[in-house]
Amino acid sequence: MQSFELTAPTSVDDAVAGAGTYLAGGTTLVDLMKLDVLTPRHVQDINALPLRGIDTADGLRLGALERMSDVARHPGVYPVISGALLQSASQQLRNMASIGGNLMQRSRCSYFRDVTTACNRRDPGSGCPARSGANRMHAVLGTSEACVATHPSDVAVALVALDGQITLASAAGTRMVALRDFYRLPGDTPHVENDLRPGELITEIVVPRLDWAVNSTYVKVRDRQSYEFALCSAAVALDVRDAHVVDARVAVGGVATVPWRLTAVETALRGAPVTEDAFQDAAALAADGAEPLSANGFKVALLRRTVVRALCELTQDEPTGSRG
Amino acid sequence: MTTTTRIDAPLKVTGRARYGSDHNLPGMLHGYVVTSTIANGEIVAMDVAAAQAAPGVVAVWSPFDPLTLRTPSTPILGDTWVPLQDRSVTHHGQPVAFVVAETYEQARDASALVEVTYDERPARTSLADNLDLAEEAPPGLDGEPSTQVVLADGVESIDDALAGSPVVVEGRYSTPTQNHAAMEPHSAVAHWDADGLTVYSGNQGAFVQQADLAAALDVDPSAVHTVNPFVGGAFGGKGRTSVPAFLAAAASRALGRPVKAALSREQVFTATANRPETLQEITLGADRDGTLIGVRHDSWCSADTDRSFVEPTSAASRVAYRTPNLAVSQKVVPLHIPRTTFMRAPGEAPGSFALESAMDELAVALDMDPIELRLRNGSLGPAGSDLQWSSKYLDDCYRIGAERFGWSRRTPTGTRDGDWLVGMGTATAVFPALRFPTTTEITLRADDTALVSVGGSDPGTGLLTVMALLGAEALDVGTERITPRLGLSAYPPGGMSGGSTATASVGSAIVAAASAVLEELQSLASAPGAPFAGQDVTYADGRVLGGGRSMTFGELLSALGRDAISAVGSSGPGEELTKHSFSSFGAQFCEVRVHRWTGEARVSRMLGVFDAGRIVNDQAARSQLRGGMIWGVSAALHEGLEIEGDGRLANGDLAGYLLPVNADIPEVDVHFVQHPDTLHNPVGARGIGEIGVVGMAAAVANAVYNATGVRVRHTPITIEDLLDGLPE
Ligand SMILES: Cc1cc2nc3c(=O)[nH]c(=O)nc-3n(C[C@H](O)[C@H](O)[C@H](O)COP(=O)(O)OP(=O)(O)OC[C@H]3O[C@@H](n4cnc5c(N)ncnc54)[C@H](O)[C@@H]3O)c2cc1C
Repeated sequence: MQSFELTAPTSVDDAVAGAGTYLAGGTTLVDLMKLDVLTPRHVQDINALPLRGIDTADGLRLGALERMSDVARHPGVYPVISGALLQSASQQLRNMASIGGNLMQRSRCSYFRDVTTACNRRDPGSGCPARSGANRMHAVLGTSEACVATHPSDVAVALVALDGQITLASAAGTRMVALRDFYRLPGDTPHVENDLRPGELITEIVVPRLDWAVNSTYVKVRDRQSYEFALCSAAVALDVRDAHVVDARVAVGGVATVPWRLTAVETALRGAPVTEDAFQDAAALAADGAEPLSANGFKVALLRRTVVRALCELTQDEPTGSRG
Repeated sequence: MTTTTRIDAPLKVTGRARYGSDHNLPGMLHGYVVTSTIANGEIVAMDVAAAQAAPGVVAVWSPFDPLTLRTPSTPILGDTWVPLQDRSVTHHGQPVAFVVAETYEQARDASALVEVTYDERPARTSLADNLDLAEEAPPGLDGEPSTQVVLADGVESIDDALAGSPVVVEGRYSTPTQNHAAMEPHSAVAHWDADGLTVYSGNQGAFVQQADLAAALDVDPSAVHTVNPFVGGAFGGKGRTSVPAFLAAAASRALGRPVKAALSREQVFTATANRPETLQEITLGADRDGTLIGVRHDSWCSADTDRSFVEPTSAASRVAYRTPNLAVSQKVVPLHIPRTTFMRAPGEAPGSFALESAMDELAVALDMDPIELRLRNGSLGPAGSDLQWSSKYLDDCYRIGAERFGWSRRTPTGTRDGDWLVGMGTATAVFPALRFPTTTEITLRADDTALVSVGGSDPGTGLLTVMALLGAEALDVGTERITPRLGLSAYPPGGMSGGSTATASVGSAIVAAASAVLEELQSLASAPGAPFAGQDVTYADGRVLGGGRSMTFGELLSALGRDAISAVGSSGPGEELTKHSFSSFGAQFCEVRVHRWTGEARVSRMLGVFDAGRIVNDQAARSQLRGGMIWGVSAALHEGLEIEGDGRLANGDLAGYLLPVNADIPEVDVHFVQHPDTLHNPVGARGIGEIGVVGMAAAVANAVYNATGVRVRHTPITIEDLLDGLPE
């Protein structure tokens, strides 16, 4: 870790004028500083900023500094969002980590995190060892020659499913961006991960009101039961009437370079009967365009199966057999 | 059977136990190890100028300017590698320089400034791709040749025996490189004074570390004092003295100041040593009634280029089952990978994965209950040996286990619970009962307490508490009057934590030391001028009795004007080895659930029933077995180091190297059938440190097969192994 200057602005105006790397819970930033992946000269601790509040009166409004654990256990939060949060990281981390920081968390690709290796995302133009190396955890959708890392956030997948937006503040004023448009595909410039402009600060996360999203769930498939990133995850909300799907929201994680909305699956679900067969038919479209690597081919089938599982679990009257 | 909470538990849970690197000494410097970024080649140049000029830096050592260290060698562990002595690099992450500075942060920051220039050569890192380099393994520690063939009269070859078998199963199994991942990273604090060198460092035996350091530094062992009263997990990975201990000791000598050194978590994966990767081929031939006719087990394991360790997996097939024909072989493949060493149940853990999976496959082929198959073929002793097991209650383990676990509810194709496919699996666990020569000292004190001391270690095993219990038993006093002491090289040698030997070894030596010290007590009591002068005295209940009177040993010592008396007692393997073979046994059970859509395999119930001789402390013993069984689940479903083509570890940290978390582990049921084995040692305990892990991975794999019909012959078993075999 290299030495740095630490300041602690108390207003948004001071923060955006301060031109330093923002520190919220520090669970990504400090980690990567210790690994010398991030080497900021100036760190701004933003925890004193008034970016708090969980408001469920009309949809959902979250202050960017709300902790993951507080959002997860707030009663008015859509199940797909609290489910995604509760299956993220560990309780200790969720108690520290902010929801704004979560959306800005960096890649978990082991080459990105190891400065002794090449990585286009960390060191543009240096190459991508994951393409031919250890890529079991990597993406099958939205990849490029330059980068195949997945986007690691769970809650971003849920937010993208529900058309979540973020408010960004800068010296020039504030703007709102749909989260889905915020994240950039890696293309030739994987180091440009999102649409955040220099100095911009996420102040708020907004989810438009969607009453039927109370019927939603987040299914996360991983190599151990807790405290692990997704091999594949599905955020699903369903509007079901008379045993038919009226409307659906489906997004997936762990398989794509950005949180991945499955609009084709949503379209196929609209009007479909609530049956396993119909779900399988719709989910068959989930992996369209997938390009597997040497060790992650299984994610293509897993992706379809995870979507089916989430749809089934959401429409089963009685949750079945899973232990505790 | 006694149940006693660990006597060091309050210290540990309140943070008052001082581990090696918790020691901070006045004027102490901090060292940081620099590791290689290639796996094979020569260091051509090293630019340390920037590091030397960095703030706080006191010294930088490298192969160009090394700290002189000699290679220590011990009978049990062989040679121990010492860092910085030459310019060759044989694996990725090899220590190549040592930076010492006033603070830890300064040392770490400066280490990033060390520029190393390599002449890099292609690395060989894959076991499967380099089998053509396989070498015959040297004989095992027990002196047994690594290749062994036993044939029934009239049988020409193992191939003939197998060809003549009505039912044959054949499989190729593999297990990955594993790291011990003990909570406490390898670390040390060293300082020199007029008495010589003192080193605080977690290790599996203070006297082992003392011998290693004395040899490495070329000083007399009496001038080396090693201290490791608390050890944050070892599992075989702290048997050899660690790189930080060698470097801190040598740097402290050179600089005349105390030096602390610790590996980072990432460095623990490359700068210590791992369990080798294995590949195993097994063929089993049986009669239609399940009676084994032939067993063939050929193994290959990875090793570093010094071949520092062999993982003797084929040995598992020598002991578990009775077969008239047996052929085992063991080969080793030297690769450019981190060093290899002992890990909990070396040989048995991965070996039993293969053998016990193969037995399950045979049961399927025979359409026979897997327990019945195992009971039918129970061994009477090791293959090719006339010496039968001293005591074996494996059948009871299976009978009791089947009952407790509800084995009768198992069907050959599993059951279904909603979206979960449910299966049960079982496997046999076998681990040899061993002892090492051990000396302990017992001191009786005038305040009616006693000290029991040995130089070994308690890396969480519970040995300290066992010493109090067995000391109390041998001296016929309450446990609260015994102060057990471990972990100083000043104490007598023995009680090394390794090979599941400590209770049997130390316990036997305690018996000997107690009888020596009580004999001395009694002769002092009846000596001229003593309180029982000229009388016949006896000893019971902490008191010396004679002439109708009695005195506690403390009262007697006070009357004699003595503060304390001490005696040592020694014990070790002996005549019993000519009469019997010795082993612990167990039956492992588990239930696994596999999700029918997404294929996650999760263990939902576990039971182990063990025949391990006398259990000295029920509570700690259960913890030991549970820990082992959990490690078996970890091996089955989570753990494995992935070594890339260039030698880099793809997952050499705790984010990538998966261990189970609490949510992965259900209630773990442990049961003991208790038959003290006094043919093995006077205490009757056979050792429980390792057997818990043996067989568990196979029990999980067998349960996965029972649930899904998918046979996975490697570990860890992950989602992609099962997805294709699941129902749509
Ligand atoms: C062991 C481990 C396991 C984890 N497992 C999961 C998991 O399963 N699922 C999952 O989703 N996540 C997981 N995480 C990631 C974790 O959720 C994130 O680290 C956390 O949410 C980041 O929030 P923070 O407040 O700590 O961010 P910080 O570390 O403080 O900041 C992260 C980044 O965001 C920037 N930033 C922070 N706040 C703002 C803001 N308001 N505006 C603009 N930029 C900002 C910072 O400058 C920095 O670049 C895991 C992390 C760890 C360490």
